[in-house]
Formats: sequence, C-alpha cells, structure tokens
Amino acid sequence: MFGYDGRESEMNAIEVENLTRRFNRLCAVDDVTFAAREGEVFGFLGPNGAGKTTTIRMLTGQLRPTAGDIRVAGLRIPGEEKRLKSQIGVVFEHQNLYERMSGRENLAFAAQLYSVPKPRVDEVLEQVGLSERAKDLVRTYSSGMKQRLLLARAWLHRPKVLFLDEPTRGLDPHIAQEIRHLVKGMAGEGVTVFLTTHYMEEADQLCHRVAFLNQGRIVALDSPEQLKLAHGQRRLQAKLVDGRVLSLSIGNQTDGQRLSELVASGEILTLHSLEATLEDVFIKLTGRGVRE
Amino acid sequence: MNIRAILAIMRKDLADAIRNQFLLAFLALPVGVALLLKLVLPSHSADLQQLTIVAYDPSHSRLVAALREVPNVRMLEVDSGSQLAESVRENGAAGGLAIPSGFDASVEARKEPELAAYINYEQDEVKRRAFQSLVQEQIMRLTPPPARIAWVDIGAPAEPQTQVRNYRDLVLIVIVLLSVVATGMLIIPLLLVEEKERRTLSFLLVSPAGPTDIVVGKALTGLICSLAITGVVLSLNNGWKGNWDITLLALFLGSLFTVPVGLLLGTFFRNVLQLNTWSTIPLVVLLLPSWLFVTRGLPPILQTLVRLIPTYYVVDTLSLSLAGEASTAKVWGNLAILLVSTAVAFIVAVWALRRRGSYSF
Repeated sequence: MFGYDGRESEMNAIEVENLTRRFNRLCAVDDVTFAAREGEVFGFLGPNGAGKTTTIRMLTGQLRPTAGDIRVAGLRIPGEEKRLKSQIGVVFEHQNLYERMSGRENLAFAAQLYSVPKPRVDEVLEQVGLSERAKDLVRTYSSGMKQRLLLARAWLHRPKVLFLDEPTRGLDPHIAQEIRHLVKGMAGEGVTVFLTTHYMEEADQLCHRVAFLNQGRIVALDSPEQLKLAHGQRRLQAKLVDGRVLSLSIGNQTDGQRLSELVASGEILTLHSLEATLEDVFIKLTGRGVRE
Repeated sequence: MNIRAILAIMRKDLADAIRNQFLLAFLALPVGVALLLKLVLPSHSADLQQLTIVAYDPSHSRLVAALREVPNVRMLEVDSGSQLAESVRENGAAGGLAIPSGFDASVEARKEPELAAYINYEQDEVKRRAFQSLVQEQIMRLTPPPARIAWVDIGAPAEPQTQVRNYRDLVLIVIVLLSVVATGMLIIPLLLVEEKERRTLSFLLVSPAGPTDIVVGKALTGLICSLAITGVVLSLNNGWKGNWDITLLALFLGSLFTVPVGLLLGTFFRNVLQLNTWSTIPLVVLLLPSWLFVTRGLPPILQTLVRLIPTYYVVDTLSLSLAGEASTAKVWGNLAILLVSTAVAFIVAVWALRRRGSYSF
C-alpha cells in the first residue's frame, strides 16, 4: 500500500537491475538491483560516499552506467534520456539556483524549458509558501527558502518521478521538518519519490521502503517497520519509582504478568519500548554508523 | 535542437548578464573607451587651428568647395599638377590634393575616381593627421560611391604605412576589435563556466534542454552582446566613416569567429578564476593585430606572423574601409580567410565538445 492517500500500485516507476558504476578502480555502485513502485516513497540510505548520488545521476541520465539496466517511468536509460527529462524532477544535493534572479524568474525559466503554462509558476510558489518573496532575488533567501524553491522547480512540471538528493542536508531541524511536510504533500499527489538521505529519522518518517547502501552495495531493503522489527529487540524498559530499571520481553507470558502487576501497584515511573531505530539496524548490518 | 529551450536559455542569460557586475563592467569597457575617445579626440574638422591645403582642381570639384567651407582651413590652388608638391612645401601646407579632371562626374557615375593626396612631412604630426582625417571625412560625404585616395608622402621617413592615417581611426579600430573579440570570447565561456561553478548546469542537463541547446543558447547570447556592444561603440563615434556593408560583414565574421573560441574556453575551464587567468592569453593574441597596426613599423618577421592571427583580417578590412579603399576586389581575400578560420574553429569546438561527451562539458 503506497501513497499518502492510501492508493496502491503494482507498477514499477523505477526498475534497476545489476547496476554498476566504476570510476577507474573504484566501484561506486556495485551490482545494485531494486524497484520502486508508482506512488511509493523509496529511500536510499547510506553514509557519505556510499554511492547514493552516483545512483541518482545514473537514474536521471546524467551519468552513463558501467553495466546494468535502468528503467525510469517505463523509459530505458541510457537510450531514452530525451523522453525521460519531462517525466522526472530532480532536487540536487547542492542549492543550484540562479542567485541573481528572483524566485519567480527561476521558476519562469524552468517553466519555459518544460513548456509549462505561466499560471503554474504562481501556483507552485503558493504551494511552497514563497509567494510573498517571489520577486526577491534568490541570493537574499535563507537556506530553507532556497530548498523550498528547489522543490518547487522540480515539482513545477508535475513529474512522474521525483528524485531528491539529500533534500534536508544542513538545514535547521524545524526547516527540515517543513521540507519533509512538503515532500509528503507531493507524494500525496501520487508521484514516486526517490529519496537519498543519511538522516534515518527522515527516512523513517517519509519512506514506504528503504534500501540500505553500503560501499556501493544494497545490504537490506524493506519497509522501515519491518527492518526495525527484524533487527530490533521486542522489549520494554520500565523505570520504577524506587530507581530500579527492569527490562521486560514482549510476548513472554511471565514478563507480561509482571508488567500488569507493576502497573496495578503504581510502581512504574516511566515505560519505554526498546524497538530498534533504523540507525541501529544500519549499524548492525554494516558495522558502521550512517554519519561516518 | 529544441528552439524553445535555446531561446529560454538566451533570454535567461541576457537578463542575468544585466545583473552580473563583472560582466557589466567588462561590457562597459569598450563603451567607456569609445566615450573617452569621443571626448578626448573630437572630430578633426572641429578643432583645427589653421590648416593650409593646396589643391590642383581643374574642374572645380565639390570636394574642394566643401573644404573651403571648413572653418580654419585655408585653400590655395595651383594651375598644374606638377607645381603641387613644390607649392605645398613653399606655403608650409599640411598637404595637397591633385584632383583629376571631371572628378564630380566620375563620382556620380560611380567610377570611384582616384585622387592623389600629398602629405607634407615637414609639418608637425598634428597638422598632418588633421589633414588626412579632414580629407577622408570630406571624401566620405560625397554621394556614393566615394573616391579612392592615393596617398603621396612628401619628405616622409622610410617607414611602412598603414592605410589608416589618423589616431582617431586607429584607436577606433582597437576599440571595435576589443568589443567584437573580447565580448564574444569572454561572455560565452563565462556563461558556461558559471553554470558549472554554481552547478546549475546539472539542472539544465536534466531539463528538456540538451547539451547542444545549452551551447547554442550561450553562443547566441555572446554573439548578440558582441554585436550590440560594437553597435554602441560605432554609434558613439557617429557611425562608421568607411564602407558600411563590408565593415558589417567583417565585424559579423569576426564575432562569429569568437563563438567557437569562447565555447572551447568554456568547455575546458571549470571555474571563473581559471577562466579569467588563462583566457587572457588567447584574448591578447587575438587583439594583437589591432595594437600592431597602431604601433606600425613592425619587423618583417612579425608582419608575417601577425597574418597567422585571424583577427588580422578583420583589422585589415576595417582599416581599408576607414580609408575608403575597401572595394570587394581588395577585401574578398580577407573575408574568405575569416570565413575559413571560423569554420575550422567551429569544427575544432564541436570535436572537443563531442570528445567530452554529452553527459558533461
């Protein structure tokens, strides 16, 4: 079940088989295979240098793969890049806007390139909350505003697949949250989102499925929930009023009974689940942190 | 090619260029120098102190009549052509004119008659150049096509002469070449390199604009800027006082030649600092012919070497044009060389771009 509106789709928006990219001796992407379904928010997670950006560059036709097959929006890459361009939107890792132009001028230029009618520019500016600053030069924008404009530019022509390369990197937490909210809104309109990030909580919030990438290879691929269940502990941690800390196993009858007694006697001060985070899972699978 | 994308890129670049202080300063350079030229070197006929000209004019031409009307010009006449040179010396004149019989009728009949103009090197340089400029100005005012001038030096030092005979025209050639060459050659790579440096090129490459559209868009922007600035420079000088059609063709070919050179520079350099550092070398080489015309008197080896630079043929055509001597027969060779150089430069640029592949510049 994908899409924030609950729609389900069995069609694949992105299909990648045995994708490999070498730069001389370095293998940046090593025999990667995955598929992202239509309307799905697909997360590509990994530390810096794992091969996330290289993968995006190959999927968007900017870099020729050394080997492997790619289909995006039903189009074969390399080979059908020209047709692909109007089907995808890309938010790059760097804030690559025309700084001497206003926000509206940036979008108007993109609208001309994509043959999008002018009223759509104002519509998108409104959607990302930049209408009031639309006439200001981009160089006067904050980082968060620039990131919203980048999202608007990628979303302007209503692409079938949206590629977001580290869309919240370097942003303040509350601004990052705004961006995630916008991405959720776009995903709610049925677009497939391919998101690379090394923020695990972001992937947890946004993604239907995530692939863990380490040294160019996918080491796990599933929904965040399944990954956490499969690799985490099903335990509860209870802190009692007398200062003691108890660890109780979920599904164990004795521990269940003990928990009921503690609740009834009012001895519990705080109670937490010991479910694994995505970061825990990543470390468990790769032996390294995602921010390394 | 995607015409819509090309036009969008061109419009964006032109709008962006207006806000780019570095680019604006650069575009303003030839315009500023042209303004300075206009202020410092006003029209020669306007600042003459006292200029004596001797004329042999058996058919009482309109040219001599017009020269008589110029303030501070004293016209003397002789009865025969053989007395002219001697009379120029004796009267301390700046120069003399031997106007053939039936001169006006020949001009009207578009026969481009030739008149001989004697320059007196016993007079100071200011007067000599004022005389040359005045004669050229008045000739250009004749109904088309103008006459040709055969310059004859009296008591001149043994040094080679160029067709152009006054400082104002020489400086004008330098500025015009600067606006043609430098504008095209720096704007095009700057536009490309800025896209790379600010990573906006990645956005363009994933948009419906292909690499060819991006290159053509930038090239057109450079060409338009180059021709526009040259137009401004010429208009600041009250237009061109030579052969317009040939001049425009030479300037257009010169601008066109700078496009592939600019593209090559834009392809190779990755940031503005690199570009500014290294592009000065080809820029100086291409501007060299105009400076050498100013300095004159080059050793023969340098004269030969300078002919290997394509912009030499722009300068040569412009100087012939300013002297009113740019007939098709005289300049077709120059224009052909320019055309071939441009074609070769384009082939090299396309080859270099293809070698880099369509995935990057």
